[in-house]
This record gives sequence, C-alpha cells and structure tokens, in this order.
Amino acid sequence: MTTSSLARFSSISRRLALALLAAQFAAPMLAGKAQAATLDEIKKRGYLNVATEDDFRPFEFVKDGKPTGFDNELLEDLRKFAPFEIKQDIIPWTGLLAGVSTGKYDVALTAAIITKERKQSLDFTSPIADATHYYVKRKGDASISAVKDLNGKTVGVQAGSALLARLPELDATLKKGGGALGKIVEYTSYPEAYQDLALGRTDYVVNTVINLKTLVAEKPAAFELGQAVSGKSFPAWAVAKGNTELQAFLNEFIAKEKASGRFAELQKKWFGDSFPDLPVAFEPEF
Amino acid sequence: MSGGDIAAILGGAVVTVTLSLIGILIGLPIGLGFALLRWANAPIAAPTVTVYVSILRATPLVTLLLLLFFALPNIGVPINPISAAIIALVMNTSAFNCEVWRAALMSFPKDQYEAAQSVGMGASLRFRRIVLPQIVRVSLPGLVNEMSLLIKVTPVLAVVGVVDITRAAVRIGAETYEPLPPFLVAVSIYAPIVFALVSLQRWIERRQVAAEAAA
Repeated sequence: MTTSSLARFSSISRRLALALLAAQFAAPMLAGKAQAATLDEIKKRGYLNVATEDDFRPFEFVKDGKPTGFDNELLEDLRKFAPFEIKQDIIPWTGLLAGVSTGKYDVALTAAIITKERKQSLDFTSPIADATHYYVKRKGDASISAVKDLNGKTVGVQAGSALLARLPELDATLKKGGGALGKIVEYTSYPEAYQDLALGRTDYVVNTVINLKTLVAEKPAAFELGQAVSGKSFPAWAVAKGNTELQAFLNEFIAKEKASGRFAELQKKWFGDSFPDLPVAFEPEF
Repeated sequence: MSGGDIAAILGGAVVTVTLSLIGILIGLPIGLGFALLRWANAPIAAPTVTVYVSILRATPLVTLLLLLFFALPNIGVPINPISAAIIALVMNTSAFNCEVWRAALMSFPKDQYEAAQSVGMGASLRFRRIVLPQIVRVSLPGLVNEMSLLIKVTPVLAVVGVVDITRAAVRIGAETYEPLPPFLVAVSIYAPIVFALVSLQRWIERRQVAAEAAA
C-alpha cells in the first residue's frame, strides 16, 4: 500500500522535476550578451564590452553613485570616438583580468600594470601613466627615512597585484645593503592596506606613485610618501591575448588623445602630474 | 560621509534585500521540490537530486558565482551580473533548503499519510492538507536560519559587480580613504533586515499556535 501511494506521488514528482529543471535553465536566457570578439565582430554587433574597477582612486572610483576618475573620463571620450556603442560593467579587481582573458569583457579599462606574467594571457595598450612603485609610511615614523630603512619592516600590498610580484626587486636592493624584505601582508584592495598602515599593523605600503600621491594629498596628516622601490613600470588597458586589432584601435584612440593635449590635461587633473614621455609600447622585464 | 554616501549604502540595502528575497522565494519551493523527490524516492530524479545537493553544499558560493559568470559566456550562454548572482544564490540556497525540508519529511508520521489515503484523499490534497502544514511548522526555524545566512552571504556577489550594502560601503571608503564610517553604517543596516525576518517567523509561529488552540 505504501509502495503504491509513493508511486502515485512520484508521477507528481516527475512533473515537478521537469519544471525545476526548466526553471534552472530558463533564468540565464533573461540575461544580456558576451563572447570574446575581434574588432570586426564588435563593429558588426555594434557594441564594445568594457569593464572598469570601482575602488581604484584616482583611476576609477565611484562618487555619489557615479563612476569617475581618469579612466572613466577617457571612457567618455572613447564613447564619442568609437563607431560603436560602449557597454560598461563596474566590477572589483578580483574578476577583472579573468573577465578579459575568458572573453566576458573585450577590454579592462583600468590601470593594469604591464607584467611578463600577464602578457602570457593578455595584450596591453600604450601605457596611460607612470606606475613606478613607491612606498608610503605613517606620518612622523622616524624609523623610516630611506629605502634601506625598510629592512625587516612589515609591508602591506594588494594580493595578486604586480606590486606584490615585484617585491623581490626591493628585496634584492635591500640585500645589497645587507638587509632583507620583512613580512608581507596581502590585502584584497588598497583601502584596507592603508587602514592597517594607519593602525600600525604594517610599517609601509607599496603602491604606484600616482595612487600614493593621491592618498597623501588626501590624508596629509596620516601618511607620508617615501621613495621609489622599483625600476620603470607602466599601467595600461588590457585586451585578450592576440586581439591585436582591438589593441591597435585603442592605441589609435590614446595617440589621438595625447596629440590633442587631452591626455595631459586629464593626467594633470587626476594625478597632479602629466607624463609627456610615456612610451607607445612597453616590454616589461618583470 | 555625505548624504549621498548614506543614500548609496541604502541603495545597496535595496539590492541586498531584493536579491535575498528573490533567492529565498525561488530557492524555497525548489528546495521543497528536491526534498519531495528524494522523499518519494522518484526514479532517476532522487539520485540526481542527491548528487546535486552534495555538490552544491560542497561548493563555496563565490566559486560557483565566478564559474557561472566567466564559464557560461565561454560556452555561448550569455549572462549578466544580476542573473549570475540570482542563479548562484538559488542553486546554493535550494540545496540547503532541500535538506531542511527533507529532515521535516523524514520525521513526518507515515501513518497519517495512510490514514488520509484510506478516507479517499487524492495525492495533491493529501500533500496540501496533511503533509505541508506539518512540515512547514517543523522546517520553519531551520529555513529562517538558512534565509538569514543567505542575506549575510550577499556581499560575496560583489565579485561580479553587484553593489550590495557592503560593496557600497567599500566604494565610499575607497573614495574618502575613511573606511570605518561606511562600514559602521553598513553593519547597522544588516541587523534590522535580519530582525524583520525573525519577527516574521515569530508571527507565523504565533498564528499557528493560535490556530491550533482554536481547532
């Protein structure tokens, strides 16, 4: 008797199972688009998928609910320049480069530092700024006054960043003076790293000169800019490896912005400095 | 922090509540459906559900979400951040809900079911009148617990660009270089949301007790 009742029940169950299955597959259909695309395909479908960051002041950040910063202003110019529409998604750094290499986004319009490792899965546009690595310390910390004083001190840096990857260069510099790199603390993003520096959990934070200058200008009572801890380094926008036509298109846009003086104007506005000697292409050593 | 910043966090609260509610409203019946399939030992479906639930309970939500968001476009299925977030939440919570519902079904006395059968009730009537009211009461604390976990796991959705309460707070901290005030505001918003949910649970439980007293 129990068996027969359960058998009847299972006929309802089967219908239910089908409905559930359908529900799980129907949901994605509601969504938009995506697929890695060449410049021709982008022109044909009429839009470019751009991803930017949301907490990377001064390059990209959100103020009063609106994206702003150096890259976002350039993006506005790019909208006028491009013969196609531009769709922008604002996502955290974590998934940004992965989004481009998997083809979810056509370009990461952010300050991604050009590194050897990244060049294996991505191609980069012309550099958009100088990203020489500097350190920042707590205001009034007398124990640090030069790079050699960083010996053995605890450093805060973003996980998965080019800055982290290049710390061995600082270690080599310190070793020449008989010292060594201290403990490394990794953070998901820089605001937390700065907070921990202010709290005294780390002794210095390494980031690019532009990011740190902006920080120190905003919080002069808390932080003080140190010296360079790396050789040449440049950030650029990233496209999928081998997407050379799109790379060339973006480079053409950057060259036009440089020629018109708009690039220098935006650099001055957001970085406090313009970088007139940026290379058109950069081959990283690290 | 400016008024605009507070508004941004409240906007994040709308996203958190909306996505949690959608996740709960879709995940709850799917979980029940899964539990019934297993309870009824439906051929093919029951073992499939068992495997599904085991895999989903073993997969961190953030990993599942990144996989959906980046892998689906690769195989030609377009997906935007919000749909990816909803699907990941539903897949995750339905697996946990399934187990809560199943626990209630397992403790359900089968003789009641057979008694209902013997007075000639059909399968769907039996389910609606006899089984469902009793398993809802048993499952409610576990389900509400899972729902409150779901609300608090929504910051994970930020990895694909969904701006919930916490992400809105992170953005403000990144702009002002003062992360503590926005985080304090964020924390103070989660508490009333979860409290509202728990109050709803208490209200339903009180109503059930009152209904029983009346019967």
